[in-house]
Amino acid sequence: MTTPLLEIEELHARVGDKEIIKNFNLTINEGEIHAIMGPNGAGKSTLSYVLTGKPGYEVTSGSVRFKGKDLLSLSPEERAREGVFLIMQYPVEIPGVPTSAFLKQALNAQRKHLNLPELDNVSFIKLLREEGKKLGIDSDMLKRFVNVGFSGGEKKRLETLQMAILKPSFAILDEADSGLDIDALKVVADGVNSLRDEHRSMLVITHYQRLLNYIVPDFVHVFADGHIVKSGNKDLALELEEKGYAEFVKER
Amino acid sequence: MNPFFKNNDDFQTPQWAKGLSQEGKAAFLGIGLPTPKTEAWKYTKLRELETDDYEFAPLADKGAMPKEEFPFACAKIDFLNGQWVKTSNLPQGLTIKPLSEAFAQINQIADIQNYPFAALNSAYLEQGVFIEVAANRQIEMPLVLSYHTIPENRNLLENIRNVIILNTGSQLDLVEYYSYTGEVKSRYLVNQVNEITVKENAQLNHYKFQNEAYKANHIALHAVDVETAGTYKSFCLQKGANIARNETKVKLKGLQAKAQVDGAYVMNGWATLDTTTDIEHLFPQTTSSQLIKGVVGGDAKGVFQGKIHIAPNAVQTEGTQLHKALLLSDTAEIDVKPELEIFADDVKCSHGAASGELDEEQLFYMQSRGISREDAKKMLIDAYLEDVFARIENENLRAWFKDLKQNS
Ligand SMILES: Nc1ncnc2c1ncn2[C@@H]1O[C@H](COP(=O)(O)OP(=O)(O)O)[C@@H](O)[C@H]1O
Ligand SMILES: [Mg+2]
Repeated sequence: MTTPLLEIEELHARVGDKEIIKNFNLTINEGEIHAIMGPNGAGKSTLSYVLTGKPGYEVTSGSVRFKGKDLLSLSPEERAREGVFLIMQYPVEIPGVPTSAFLKQALNAQRKHLNLPELDNVSFIKLLREEGKKLGIDSDMLKRFVNVGFSGGEKKRLETLQMAILKPSFAILDEADSGLDIDALKVVADGVNSLRDEHRSMLVITHYQRLLNYIVPDFVHVFADGHIVKSGNKDLALELEEKGYAEFVKER
Repeated sequence: MNPFFKNNDDFQTPQWAKGLSQEGKAAFLGIGLPTPKTEAWKYTKLRELETDDYEFAPLADKGAMPKEEFPFACAKIDFLNGQWVKTSNLPQGLTIKPLSEAFAQINQIADIQNYPFAALNSAYLEQGVFIEVAANRQIEMPLVLSYHTIPENRNLLENIRNVIILNTGSQLDLVEYYSYTGEVKSRYLVNQVNEITVKENAQLNHYKFQNEAYKANHIALHAVDVETAGTYKSFCLQKGANIARNETKVKLKGLQAKAQVDGAYVMNGWATLDTTTDIEHLFPQTTSSQLIKGVVGGDAKGVFQGKIHIAPNAVQTEGTQLHKALLLSDTAEIDVKPELEIFADDVKCSHGAASGELDEEQLFYMQSRGISREDAKKMLIDAYLEDVFARIENENLRAWFKDLKQNS
């Protein structure tokens, strides 16, 4: 039995005056991993921001349902607490905010939303140590300010740690492999794979096929000109790697 | 008629203060209340003060004074409506005396000819204390001066003068704490002058929390002389009042004398919070450092005027100054006037000012992790102020100030 988790219908969205998402349709069922591949500038990051509610990304028509609810009517924080998570292409640096305090605030906001008691310091630190260890994140790193002075690999590991702690039901990975060497990529992919289960779904956005060797998708979609132009299984990714996106990109 | 002298007859100048009072009154009438044309006050408008009708209050009922709890062991002097009412827990090495026993020290450091509110303070001299730390005494516990106002409906004029002397090699943490209870709309005026001497190798760490009623006014001058290898460090957190000015004038009067003058202000509504500093480097190898950070919302206005003066012989000195403000609304305003007067060679001097807004990218990142926009803003404001709070040496006081910023 398949249960739809995310249903995107005839979505149009713009940034400023520019329409970027044009008639985008996609349904993701519980437990499925979908990959979206497309050329630079196609609007992949825009899609991830529209789904997470970033200000400035305006939906002009269409609908998005998440667990049957109207996702677009929720604030970014409500979406997060409902279980939507985004591993950002460029994680944001927040000088002055210690990483562990940030994570604690995020986790407790979610727990409050779910009517669970807030975690005290001791249990939180224990959880953080355990999950951090799996990703090679030590307590020194957690004492530093969020993403400040982190290498590209450290930033992506921290994103993965947040995902491991918040345990979202739906995760979007926007170019999770950008700026990573192969070892760092494996650490991130292992972290992500360990969260795979029959209910949790993911949308893996990538320009290159490489990441999909490590996070193997159930479906692959080609994204160009604001919508999906072709869908297939994981072999489509290999095909794209060989041929490139030329046939999908309009002549200018 | 000058508003400050309308009810002049109600005020009984004590015998010991008569001469100082006459000098003060003459000086104040000579200078007058600063106007928008007065350079030193051009950003902080005082028009509202003129229309008020000030009263000198008899002492309020001591029983009505709330028991202020401080989350650290301390010696304490309580003031009620400007009057010294209680002293507790004084340690050895610390002497507290009424001002009448120290009048020879008054107006020795504060310059009433050039500071109109110091002149006014002198005209109504009566309240305040003389504090002295014995030579080579390191006082462990902070000394708290807790000033409480119960204004009721009156526009009280509270003139407070303290003389503070740290003798050679001594050390003290001094905390000034301002609070009120009762009528929040009262337009009382706290007008305070501290005359501070930090002698050779002594160190004063001076902390202040200003949280007056939102229509009240608060004007304070800290006039500080620092002698050879002495250190004066201050941190002032301002949150309350309608118009408030915290002015610090430091003279580094000996070789290797040091000053650190820091501050933070967090404000909303219609308030004007003014931080004015003037550091004079009069000797070689003196150093000064200033970090002032503001968070301004609503229709409020933050003012920073900072002057560093380096005298011709004061070589190998170092003076740095940085003011930064975070503007939370389109109608929030800041006015900044840095001034460097350098008459010596071989000095290191710098000043900087910056203002900005909360970063939307950071807010969204936090929200996308489930943190509410309101909480995200609070965290970013805390983060913004983190570096100035980090400069508070005493851990207990640092934690206390962080809490005051958040919860009072
Ligand atoms: N904040 C923005 N302001 C203006 N244009 C933007 C903004 N974000 C993205 N765009 C434009 O939208 C298009 C899609 O960008 P993006 O979603 O980042 O593509 P991708 O992630 O597929 O490389 C690009 O043409 C880009 O220039
Ligand atoms: Mg992108």
